[in-house]
Amino acid sequence: MKRRAVILAAIFLGWWLLAAAPAPLGSIFSPQQVHAEEGWEAEFRAVCGRTDDAMTFSASELRGLIDRCDLLNARIGQLSEPQRKVFAKRLQMCRDLYVFTLEAKEKK
Amino acid sequence: MTTATRVICGLGLLLLLAGAAGARDLPAADDYGKVILDNFSARAGLAPVRFDHWLHRAFFTCRLCHVDIGFAMEAKATRITADMNAKGFYCGSCHNGTTVFNGKKIFPSCAPGPAPAGSECVRCHSVGMKDERRYTYAAFTEKLPRQALGNLVNWEEAEARGLIKPVDLLPGLSTPRRHLDAQADFSIASKGFWMADIIFSHKKHAQWNGCEVCHPDIFPSVKKNAVKYTMFEIAEGQYCGLCHDRVAFPLNDCGKCHAGKARRQP
Repeated sequence: MKRRAVILAAIFLGWWLLAAAPAPLGSIFSPQQVHAEEGWEAEFRAVCGRTDDAMTFSASELRGLIDRCDLLNARIGQLSEPQRKVFAKRLQMCRDLYVFTLEAKEKK
Repeated sequence: MTTATRVICGLGLLLLLAGAAGARDLPAADDYGKVILDNFSARAGLAPVRFDHWLHRAFFTCRLCHVDIGFAMEAKATRITADMNAKGFYCGSCHNGTTVFNGKKIFPSCAPGPAPAGSECVRCHSVGMKDERRYTYAAFTEKLPRQALGNLVNWEEAEARGLIKPVDLLPGLSTPRRHLDAQADFSIASKGFWMADIIFSHKKHAQWNGCEVCHPDIFPSVKKNAVKYTMFEIAEGQYCGLCHDRVAFPLNDCGKCHAGKARRQP
């Protein structure tokens, strides 16, 4: 009986540490953290997954995408290495392409 | 024609031929597109890495590696470490021991720290090592269509014939995209009357590179004639020369780019 209680307590403690503990203790693995990461990644994919369509966007759409790149840059800057290095470069390429396309459209 | 004129003309022709021969000192076919990476290898007690474009380009598009994975377009500029690979980035994006490609697990990149006996580190850290590589250029390219120069493989034809199918998406890393619309080829006027105009295959370049490999870093303008490219700049590695003469077919395969109508007479 005692053994079962100890096992149950250990399971509960484990769950609490991983998912329900208040920050900063729980923030290491908590679902909120996972969602936060998914948040920037989802935004990255939404913004930089459309570079092949760059020429079809209007100037205002391109400006909107460039602004979203700038917002993402701050979030990516907070990632740990080497994730920051990889995604900062990818974001830079993506932003540069949108700026380039916008300038090309405005020069026309 | 006087004897003196003949001698001068002969000498001039000789100089011209010598210059033309010396201008292009291209590596052998199996070394064409080879990149040696030795930023940190020696410190880890390993031989430098030999990376062969001819092997990887048969399986993956340029865009996948140079955009999604983030490899720089300049040798050694990425400064890859074993730790980065172990975390699943750069070489470790595929070389992780779990990714399956063509029904085989891709061998893992070496872990940080001393290489254990029997490890597969030498498969890449192979400069100066004998018989460590599993793929040989001759066997790998044996059935691929030929071209005269560079690494002697006509990659475009190989893809058209279904002999290679370069993958453009790496699950978990790439962003799924819609298929890029085919864009029309366009011509660029040649500066010399003796050369045909250039026919640029936007379709092929865009399919393999996407947009951001070339724009704006390599080609800062899409407006026709806004930038005047010269063969001198290209031969120095600018514009087309960043890939052609290093990985893609070399510059002395003139007819592959200058494929338009013959130019006017002077």
